[in-house]
Amino acid sequence: MSDKGLARTLGFATAAVLALTQAPVGFVRDEGYYFTAAQSVEAWLRMLLHSPLQAIAQTERYWSYNFEHPGLAKLLFAASHLVFTTWLGVLPDALAWRLPAFAFAGLLSYWLCLLGLSRSRAAGVLAPLLFWCAERTFFHGHLACFDIPICALWAGVGVAWLRASGPGLAFTYGAALAVKHNAWFLPPVLLVHALLLPGDQRKAMLRKLPWLLLSPLVLFLAWPLLWHDPLRHLRDWVAFHTHHVHYAWWYFGQVLRGPPFPVWYPVVLDALVLPLTNALVLAAAGISLLWAFARRRLDPQRLLELGLAGAALLPFLLTTTPIFGGIKHWLGFLALLAPEGASLLARIAPEPRRLAAVAAATLLPGLWQILHVHPYGTSAYGELAGGIPGAATLGMQRQYWSNNVTGVLPWLNAHCPPGARVYFHEVNVESYRTYVRMGMLRPDIRYAPSPLQSDYAALQWHREFRDREPETWNAYGTRRPATGLYLDEVPQVVVYARPGLPGAP
Amino acid sequence: MGLPRAAPFIALIAVGAGSLLFDLTLPSRLPSDADWAEAAGALRGAAQPGDAVQLWPVWAERARLFVDSMPVLAEEDPRQADYPGVLRLWVLSLPRTPFFAPPDAALQARGATPSGAEQRFGALALRAWDLHAPPADPITRSLEEHEVDYVPRRCVVVPIGGRLAERAPARATLHVRAGVVGERAYDADRPEILVQIFADGVPVGSLAVPRTVRDGTGWHRLDVPLPAGAAEREFVFAVSSPDRARSFCLQAWTSG
Repeated sequence: MSDKGLARTLGFATAAVLALTQAPVGFVRDEGYYFTAAQSVEAWLRMLLHSPLQAIAQTERYWSYNFEHPGLAKLLFAASHLVFTTWLGVLPDALAWRLPAFAFAGLLSYWLCLLGLSRSRAAGVLAPLLFWCAERTFFHGHLACFDIPICALWAGVGVAWLRASGPGLAFTYGAALAVKHNAWFLPPVLLVHALLLPGDQRKAMLRKLPWLLLSPLVLFLAWPLLWHDPLRHLRDWVAFHTHHVHYAWWYFGQVLRGPPFPVWYPVVLDALVLPLTNALVLAAAGISLLWAFARRRLDPQRLLELGLAGAALLPFLLTTTPIFGGIKHWLGFLALLAPEGASLLARIAPEPRRLAAVAAATLLPGLWQILHVHPYGTSAYGELAGGIPGAATLGMQRQYWSNNVTGVLPWLNAHCPPGARVYFHEVNVESYRTYVRMGMLRPDIRYAPSPLQSDYAALQWHREFRDREPETWNAYGTRRPATGLYLDEVPQVVVYARPGLPGAP
Repeated sequence: MGLPRAAPFIALIAVGAGSLLFDLTLPSRLPSDADWAEAAGALRGAAQPGDAVQLWPVWAERARLFVDSMPVLAEEDPRQADYPGVLRLWVLSLPRTPFFAPPDAALQARGATPSGAEQRFGALALRAWDLHAPPADPITRSLEEHEVDYVPRRCVVVPIGGRLAERAPARATLHVRAGVVGERAYDADRPEILVQIFADGVPVGSLAVPRTVRDGTGWHRLDVPLPAGAAEREFVFAVSSPDRARSFCLQAWTSG
């Protein structure tokens, strides 16, 4: 098999595995918003097909929802749903919306494989595996969100910078820009990379750089919101992220509510949530790249990987950038260390049998983590944290923010009387509607705004929302849960029922 | 392969094997439903008035599914916790979980002593502690609980700007606890809340509740000797602050 064939195979395999394991993955809060945005965009696409001029005139109406994120990913989620669900009727809603995310995940494997293959064939195979064999990364690969897409394009822009033509680079960077604002940080990385290269290589790269000026065209085309009053919408986009709110986040027994955050927060979190072996290998990869950089022994590709990994992490070391969302906002850091990590594995075990042993030792803990914790990926912790119970004792964030509710939906479906009102806590109404639409929740079960106005309550355990549980006790007159989702004994979702109702203790 | 070259290989195999060993044996260190049911049965058989269960670690709240014979508490600091009205504390713990640190030293530091041998129910441990708490009488009687500083408290919500008046037995020492319910305790730039306390019209103390800055400091305490007077008195708590938007909760009792 050719190198590209191998990379393609790994890419398709990644997308296929994610598609096959997505059904039980709950809808994180943001995903509910993106589903709603995709429905609005799908309506716009249908209008575009029937009355293009009207659609062009009405971009504001259909694209203003979720104005804070550019259009490409939402456009793809919508197009996928339009084709596979609305027209062909072959896929359920959530799978259709998520399908483009799987394609991005496949692209990430493809590009990581290419970066690894430049070192050795073994590194090409191991690089994507090193990234994906952890429940946190595996989980995020399933979501119709932007974190894996921008992570993929982080790597993709790197590959395009090193290998593609100017137009190819412009398109890839444009796609990144049209997926998420993280892409704002890429041009400085590429510029610094070019400046650090020796003579002729520097000139060649600097000549490529101006192609990036064409990239905003992709952003503009993929985001029809910009077609009218673009400056205002661009200003709103930038302002949203430069003034982003800080959500409470539990970290070593303290709820972090605002800056200054601990400097090493992202690195420590990576070490705690990843399987220990992955964390060690990726740490060794980072040290290896830094060591080679200090000794000026980095080739252009490794130098770029170091720059991209560092740029993905750097904003979160500033102590002022919002830190919520576990590791999802700096997945590019892990991804760009994976090829070097894979190469280190291949170097310490060059013989096939030893390589198999070392690959198994590295990847099996992550595979176990996936088998053991999936689909509750936001709750996963590695061995260094003592797993989920150890992390609970350390006072670490249990989950974010509501996808784990899938663990109690079957119970609610089985026990709620017709028309029961359920307080779903952090499950937003968009996600609730999607659970109903997907058949995961009975359509007669109603969404209650508070414990007081509910018959059942499914409380997601969050340190900052601890008041909800006594509030429920007071409303129901009982302190005894009916059931719950407990991972390795640690409460994730606790369900209460009003005494006398089916399922109440 | 020489030893220096083989060292990373051996180290990685060892870490991988150790990680897997940890992962695969973790479930065996956690209680089963049967363990919980047995422990709950033992508590049911031994329950007396004044008993309560303290979970340890405090996240082990799956116990609430099983324990039905006495209040289940998840106080985070057993040394400082008041445990009002509790005479005997049953510590129900998961001693084989990672980073487990027994609460024994904290309980001993407050003068508690074990009142029986530790019982084991699979991965669960159960031990009763005598708190040697002085006799106490509640002033505030709340059927409700509210979360202050991440612990459910049997406190009474008093509107800021309002007063709470309760007639209750007056023992030697007055204990007042108060704080803002929920996350609003951390609201920036909020003025402090002042509680002025009177017993039969005589001022006996005041308690200032500033904005909570750090977790674990939001449940404020006042312990003052009561001046001589009637065995039963009317206690008045006047709560004031320029900002009335927060939910304020108060608990009081006398002891001695």
